Amino acid sequence: MANHLGTTDDEQAACQAQMNRWQRTVGEIQTRKRQVAECERALEALSKVTACFQQMATSVGSSSDSSSLREKTNDTRALAHKVCTGLHRKLVPLLAETVPGQEDRDKVEQLWVHFLTGLESLQQDLYKFGDLTDRFPLKQKNDRRALIKTGASDEFSGVAAQAASTQSPWVGTEVEQNPDLKTHITQIDAMIKEMLQKVSIPFWAVESTQEAWTEGVDFSDAADDQDETLEVEVVSQDGKMSGCCHPPNCKFGCMLCLLT
Amino acid sequence: MTIRNVRDHGQRFRPRMTCLKKVEAVILEMQDPKTGVKSQPQRLVITTIPHAITGEDIVAWLANRYSIQTEEACTLGRMLVAFGYIYPLQDHKRLIIKPDASLYRFQTPYFWPAQQWPVEDTDYAIYLAKRNIRKKGILEMYEQEQYNSLHKWMNHKWDFIVMQAKEQYRAGKERKKPDRVVFDCQERAYWVVHRPPPGTISAMDYGLERMVDPNAEEKQTSDFFRRTIIFTQQSIMRPRVKSSVSIGALVKYSITYNKHDPFLAPCLPSNPWLTDDVTYWMLNMTNVEIPTKMRVERWTFSFGELLADPRGRADFTLFLKKEFSGENLAFWEACEDLKWGTAATMNEKAQQIYKTFLARGAPRWINIDGKTMEVTVKGLKHPHRYVLDAAQTHIFMLMKKDSYGRYLKSPVFKETQKRAIDPEQHRFSVTQLEANAKKRRPSLSPIIVRQQEEEERARMATSGPVDITQLCRFTAPVPHLAVYSGPLSSPPFPLCLPHTPACPSPISVTIDSTPASERRWEEGVGGGEGGEADQVGEGTAVSSRSRMALSLGRLLRRGCSPSTVFASLSPKFPAPAGNSSRVQPISTDQIGQAPPRRIANFFQIKVDIPPECRIYPIDSEDEEESGGASKGGGGGEGGGEGQVKEIICPWESLTPHEGAG
Repeated sequence: MANHLGTTDDEQAACQAQMNRWQRTVGEIQTRKRQVAECERALEALSKVTACFQQMATSVGSSSDSSSLREKTNDTRALAHKVCTGLHRKLVPLLAETVPGQEDRDKVEQLWVHFLTGLESLQQDLYKFGDLTDRFPLKQKNDRRALIKTGASDEFSGVAAQAASTQSPWVGTEVEQNPDLKTHITQIDAMIKEMLQKVSIPFWAVESTQEAWTEGVDFSDAADDQDETLEVEVVSQDGKMSGCCHPPNCKFGCMLCLLT
Repeated sequence: MTIRNVRDHGQRFRPRMTCLKKVEAVILEMQDPKTGVKSQPQRLVITTIPHAITGEDIVAWLANRYSIQTEEACTLGRMLVAFGYIYPLQDHKRLIIKPDASLYRFQTPYFWPAQQWPVEDTDYAIYLAKRNIRKKGILEMYEQEQYNSLHKWMNHKWDFIVMQAKEQYRAGKERKKPDRVVFDCQERAYWVVHRPPPGTISAMDYGLERMVDPNAEEKQTSDFFRRTIIFTQQSIMRPRVKSSVSIGALVKYSITYNKHDPFLAPCLPSNPWLTDDVTYWMLNMTNVEIPTKMRVERWTFSFGELLADPRGRADFTLFLKKEFSGENLAFWEACEDLKWGTAATMNEKAQQIYKTFLARGAPRWINIDGKTMEVTVKGLKHPHRYVLDAAQTHIFMLMKKDSYGRYLKSPVFKETQKRAIDPEQHRFSVTQLEANAKKRRPSLSPIIVRQQEEEERARMATSGPVDITQLCRFTAPVPHLAVYSGPLSSPPFPLCLPHTPACPSPISVTIDSTPASERRWEEGVGGGEGGEADQVGEGTAVSSRSRMALSLGRLLRRGCSPSTVFASLSPKFPAPAGNSSRVQPISTDQIGQAPPRRIANFFQIKVDIPPECRIYPIDSEDEEESGGASKGGGGGEGGGEGQVKEIICPWESLTPHEGAG
């Protein structure tokens, strides 16, 4: 009797343990999935912020340069910094946990490679930005004479807004100090190095999921930017407005489309 | 992820980019609102974009600012455009400046060519992807190719590239329309400069990367000054030549070589590349019997010319043989051989040369002055490629001052001159040219050519005239072991060793005493050509009557081979000719010990002069005339042994009776 009871108890305990394990695994899987999705969104955010940063950095030293532009660029840089550090924090343990044979291992490796590429790209832009700001200081009144007349205006609110609209996918991260430029660069450097050393992934094994000649199906209003029209005249051929490509948080984009 | 193996500690800089800094200064001046080039707005359909400048304004400004001519200003302007500091608004692919009303604009500093940031392929991929996304089919052919190749090589980050391209496109759209146009123009101009279409000359081409940043200001530390001081001191110490002298030399050279210059004078009979007729090459082959007149005339220009031409050298050798003073030339050729030969054989060659030419009582002793001899001998303690340079120069000058003049007056030369042919200029008609073109055939493979040369040499070796003094074994200084000369015919027993008249590399006689060769030799392989393609070029057309004869024959035959293994005689080949008491047959047991003894062999020349006939003091201690046992192995040890006389290099330790092997 007692034996029977004991076995039943044991069985029950074993069943319970199994159930727990199963539940845990499911929970784990779900967490992991969520984390991977977060990282993906973060990577997109990084991409966006980097693009905006670059767009603004191209105007440094030109006649469209101004201290407000530089401020906005710095803000964008801070944002980039935030995204980077957050992504770094999230991605590294994710990768460390990845066992070979796991389903989303490919995805995580891809994220890793792309993150590194993004970091390098950002670093390059930061270098250039730093060098240009040194070269073309804006402190003195006469400094504005040195700015190259490029024909661009100094209207960057749209870009800055685009950048600012980037949502960091995780909330509640601790707010870090925005480092100044040089520190930022060295930090990124260190990050890259550390990442390379920590995890050994064969980069070349990552394959792209896109084909070579991706067409931007959603860039349907691109007709107004044809190359040949840039030379002499800009022919505005308004495309289909319905297929507006811009993400929902783009307020200005639609205005621009309206303009053309 | 880009692999960055090299942390750029300023170690890789592009040499021609020193000018970039200066160009930037020019640009800054040019765009100054008050004193720079005046700008005007560019009118587009819906908008106007300011800050466009015309080509003629640019050129005029440059000419004015730097007080230069219009052409020079044009060139300078072109350079500005080529580097990408100014870009054309129309005809954007051609980076030139048109001094008319065509429009240009300044490039934003972000897109300036920078020394420290090489242009990244990732960025180019993003740019191409962006353009492709914007409008399919816009990419040109070369851009499509680049795109494909980038897609292949950057496949692992391709998703990121596409993502970034899209994001950049979106970010660009945030700007106002005119700004977008400007930005697109800027970016396009940037990539035209840095990824030029194929076939265009890019200003960004540069050579090797430098170790020092040419744009960096060098800190004036004490080391900098020290280097400057050294540099100026060396400049002062440099020997100078008066310009009248150097110019005179140039004029003289031009006058002399005027008719021989391949560009200034036509090629007789005709240029094979143009007419497909190879007579010219045939007539000017290396060992042709009858040279052309032009060739012979070149020999009269200078002694160096004579020696440089193999046919000339052969002629000169012939002359020297008639005069019985071939050792100078032989020594000179031996030195050349040492200089140009393989490093492995250098030591042995040096020793051999010493023993043959320089030592007291050497078989072919050359006459150089005491000081040079002293220096050379000292140098030979640690022989290297150029250790005999001083002696060689001395002998060269000797020959030049003495023999060369006599050669030019000699009957040999005059005969050659008389027989020299002077081909007529070909005059081919068009049909004949076509016929020639059809008859074109590839020439012989070099291997076959070499074999033929070797055979040729072997044949000449057997048929050359006899040089008596070389053969007289008891008259010094050149004993019978004419190691570097002469072929051995299949002659009767007491050997007179003929010389080959046209054997150009006297020093290259070898007894490469490989076991196989010895065995072959011992089998008395007679006759035949030395046409083996192996390095040593064994000639074997020697009768087996005398081992010495055989050996020498082989020696001499091989001497004509292009392989320049140094000559040596093995102890197995003691003196030839008649000294039958001294003839030491090769003991067969020596065959199996080739490697150590080969080295030993190289180091010996056995001069088997019977003691009573010895005329020159031999400083070695080989008084004992034991049986000509072979020497033992350590290379370079001159062990006295055997009845054979050895010439030992004075620095070598004399170790008597080294056992064989």
